[in-house]
Amino acid sequence: MSVPLPAGATELQNVDGEQIKTFKDFLISYNKLTEMCFLDCVTDFTSRNIKHTEDKCSLNCMEKFLKVNQRISQRFQEFQMLANENVLASQK
Amino acid sequence: MAQKEQQNFQVIQELEIEMMADMYNRMTATCHKKCIPPVYGDSEIAKGEAVCIDRCVAKFLDIHERIGKKLGQLSMQDESLLKK
Repeated sequence: MSVPLPAGATELQNVDGEQIKTFKDFLISYNKLTEMCFLDCVTDFTSRNIKHTEDKCSLNCMEKFLKVNQRISQRFQEFQMLANENVLASQK
Repeated sequence: MAQKEQQNFQVIQELEIEMMADMYNRMTATCHKKCIPPVYGDSEIAKGEAVCIDRCVAKFLDIHERIGKKLGQLSMQDESLLKK
């Protein structure tokens, strides 16, 4: 199986631990995403071929997953900023 | 001695970051599960789903904090009981 490499991960000669971790995280979420979208979208095993609806569903699933993750990360950052501000305010 | 203390500090800090990442991943999975129905006719986030995600994240972090406080209280109680 060939894995699409994210930008920057192709020069594998001089990667540091941080980059390897980022790449690993990417692969883990790639696998999770595949599992989730496959479970939700592919239910018919009377045919070997991927149906048009299954294909569309999987791609929508992936796109939506990325958007949801982006939104969650935004809200999380906002929460953390607020928490930091509260800590700073209580120190004064 | 000071070096060892610094090493300990670093280990604890790394652990904290790791646990934070774990919590974040669990939150992502949970809120996705709770807010996004498994029907993908469209790749856009629906309005209701967006509101659900926002609330889910806020509530999850809130509960995380509350449980953390309670756990801290309990372990302090345990410690002071053990000392007696």
